[in-house]
Amino acid sequence: MSEHTIISTNNLNLWYQEKHALQSVSMKIPKKHVTALIGPSGCGKSTLLRCFNRMNDLVDHVKITGEIVFDDENIHAPGTDVVTLRKKIGMVFQKPNPFPKSIYENVAYGPRVHGIRDTAELDKIVERSLRHAAIWDEVKDRMNDSALGLSGGQQQRLCIARTLAVEPEVILMDEPCSALDPIATAKIENLIDMLKADYTVIIVTHNMQQAARVSDYTGFMYLGKLIECGITAQIFEHPKEELTENYITGRFG
Amino acid sequence: MNFLPSITTGTSSGTARSSLFKERSIKTVFFCTAFFAVIVISFILLFLLRDGYPILNQVGIVDFLLGSAWAPTAVEPLYGIFPLIFGTIAVTIGAMCFAVPLSIGCAIYISELASPRIKSILKPATELLAGIPSVVYGFFGLVVLTNFIRTTFDIPTGETWLAGSVLLGIMALPTIISVSEDAISSVPCEYREGSLAIGATRWQTISKVIVPSALSGIAAATILGIGRAIGETMAVLMVTGNAAIIPDPIWNVLSPVRTLTGTLGIEMGEVAVGSDHYHALFGVAVVLLVITLIVNTSAVIILSRLREGKTSTPGKKPFLTTATKNALLKGCTYLVLAGVVLLLFISLPWWAAGLVLAAGAAWYFGKDRLTRNHVEKIAFVLIGAAAVIVIAILAILLEDIVVHGLPAISWEFLTQPPRDLGRAGGIFPAIVGTLYLVTGAIAIALPLGVGAAIYLVEYTREGRITRLIRTGVDLLNGTPSIVFGLFAFSFIVIYLNIGVSLIAGQITLALMVLPTVIRTTEESLKSISLSLREGSLALGATKWQTIRNVVLPPALPGILTGAILSIGRAAGETAPIMFTAVVFSSRFLPTSLFQPVMALPYHLYILATNVPNSSVNRYGTALVLVVMVVGFYSVAILLRNHFQKKARG
Repeated sequence: MSEHTIISTNNLNLWYQEKHALQSVSMKIPKKHVTALIGPSGCGKSTLLRCFNRMNDLVDHVKITGEIVFDDENIHAPGTDVVTLRKKIGMVFQKPNPFPKSIYENVAYGPRVHGIRDTAELDKIVERSLRHAAIWDEVKDRMNDSALGLSGGQQQRLCIARTLAVEPEVILMDEPCSALDPIATAKIENLIDMLKADYTVIIVTHNMQQAARVSDYTGFMYLGKLIECGITAQIFEHPKEELTENYITGRFG
Repeated sequence: MNFLPSITTGTSSGTARSSLFKERSIKTVFFCTAFFAVIVISFILLFLLRDGYPILNQVGIVDFLLGSAWAPTAVEPLYGIFPLIFGTIAVTIGAMCFAVPLSIGCAIYISELASPRIKSILKPATELLAGIPSVVYGFFGLVVLTNFIRTTFDIPTGETWLAGSVLLGIMALPTIISVSEDAISSVPCEYREGSLAIGATRWQTISKVIVPSALSGIAAATILGIGRAIGETMAVLMVTGNAAIIPDPIWNVLSPVRTLTGTLGIEMGEVAVGSDHYHALFGVAVVLLVITLIVNTSAVIILSRLREGKTSTPGKKPFLTTATKNALLKGCTYLVLAGVVLLLFISLPWWAAGLVLAAGAAWYFGKDRLTRNHVEKIAFVLIGAAAVIVIAILAILLEDIVVHGLPAISWEFLTQPPRDLGRAGGIFPAIVGTLYLVTGAIAIALPLGVGAAIYLVEYTREGRITRLIRTGVDLLNGTPSIVFGLFAFSFIVIYLNIGVSLIAGQITLALMVLPTVIRTTEESLKSISLSLREGSLALGATKWQTIRNVVLPPALPGILTGAILSIGRAAGETAPIMFTAVVFSSRFLPTSLFQPVMALPYHLYILATNVPNSSVNRYGTALVLVVMVVGFYSVAILLRNHFQKKARG
């Protein structure tokens, strides 16, 4: 499975001040598949996700031990270039967060900060990313309108397009549908299904049906520990651990 | 039948009616206090126009505004204020060239780069910079800055346009820093995360997402800074040389200039009441008031549009389209660049200007070869330098005053009246006079201001009347302090025939700090959660009972903070009391409210400008004044921080 693995964590621990939020998490994320992280609120699934592109650097008083290996390197090693890492591992947030700029500018922002100036090339990247995020037809006639005028679901797909525009290898999604209605959710889920042909997707969700629908692999977390992880069908139909079974059958959480 | 002991066995209709009456009268009282601000600003306008109108009648509005010579004491007096308007605008533009980049850099540093510990030092430091009285800045400018300029450029006197601009720039720093810092800090964290998650560097995130999002707030901050600079009197008057000429050539920053405010400050004290010259000065005040009101109102409009923009429904077209905004920005950048190049060649020796230009050119042509990490490093160094410069200015100023002032301080200095025109003896009457002035001012402003704020927050919904009141408060807030002085002279001293007296000074200062008291009280009342009020009202408490018992107690620290800030501000002001309340030398303390007093800021002003060989006592007076004002400000800042921490739990 090692050739097949894109990220692996090794005995990862994380503290927010006194709180031991992640406890010896070791897992492997398979390449070009969708991996879901599930578990009750506060179990550490979002924290784990934010470790993968070091977004936890923005939080004060965080201490991390153990390693996360990506591209044969520990991303928490002192010399890591965080900026390059985040270019390779993009992120989509819980609440859609388009910049207060036009739709075009939002998507072009990423390639621009990575040094692409040529207008024709930018146009091409913007169109390709928007098509890929299944939102092109809805916005192609109003590229210069403010992105804040889009609906919540459209904003979220725009944010996905924005992430795709820098051509990452991995896309992290932190409960991307929790602020959306069922129709918008269905569109995002279809999109995730299409994305796995080219990208590795890691999605955090509190919605078990969603995990079952979109993911190939699932990790179940509880109180900062990774209780069980494996093929989604297996986790949902024949969980090995009792905790997992209780959670999935709705006995707590 | 009654199983429960009754608390009140049904209020009789009589007491109900009387309590209703009480509620109504309380509301009326609060309404009156709130409406007071509107009355004051209308009176200011009325009296300035009344006394300014005759000159327009005589000279004609065009000749008054565009006339090129101001010579009111000549045999054939000339009343053209164009050189004064030019002076005001020139000094302000110069100040902004210097203050805007520095403050924005400092604001970015405080909100984005500084560690929490450095931030907790820097923020109060900039607030202290705001608290230092303008006459102290003027004094510092007179003894340090003008000397520096004189020796650097080898010119006969350092009292120049450049000195005025630098000093005003320093004084505008705190305003611009704190408002821009608020704007930058309130950019949602999600934008930052979104940009970083794409792999943008911190500097790219700051320059391309955060600062553009905060742009209208930064613009409003700049305009407020401009308003402050235009209305400033004492500091400008002490360092610009006050020659009512248009520099030759017109961009010669080393020429003396004279501003509108400076003219009022110098000439108002010596003019015969009712003469043409007197009316001309009121004409100047009207022009000054109109300019500052336009500037401040545009800042208020931008800020309120900003607030609306945040809550407006999505889909609304932005105020400016991206394309026009970019074009505007580009235009402004080129304009500023051209100005900077011009300034450089005038003010620096040619080789230094050439060096700077070469650096600029190297940057322009080399920037594509730099990696973005290098760009980030350069940007952060520059931003850090801006913060260091701001702190250094504060440090140099305080160091100069403390080092030279300490030797003057003695028991005698603090407890004796002055002798030999203030060269010897002490400043006791001035200290007491200042205390009298601020005590009276706050005793008048506090009830009025708190009442107005209670009316605005508790008793009304937003409507036409509140908008009128708020506009009144905003206008009052933007009125230059010298204009308060002129108004009070015309209305209290002359029209009411009270004369130059303690009470006139107290009222003038009270009117001036009223907007501050209203603002801070409003904010503090608004921070009390609605559920607390609902809880009390649901128990059957009346509105006034709810306000008195539930809303006011937790709001008290905030109100107190506002009051102390106002005291600090009132203690340092010179311009409003110069013609209404003070005398330079008095051996005795006033025995009634209708006698004039001595005051520290005025004493310092006279020692610094009119009494040669009084260097030691000048510094001593400046030190006592700074300690007093900074003391008030520190107490206010500490109080606020303490209760903010407590509120957060």
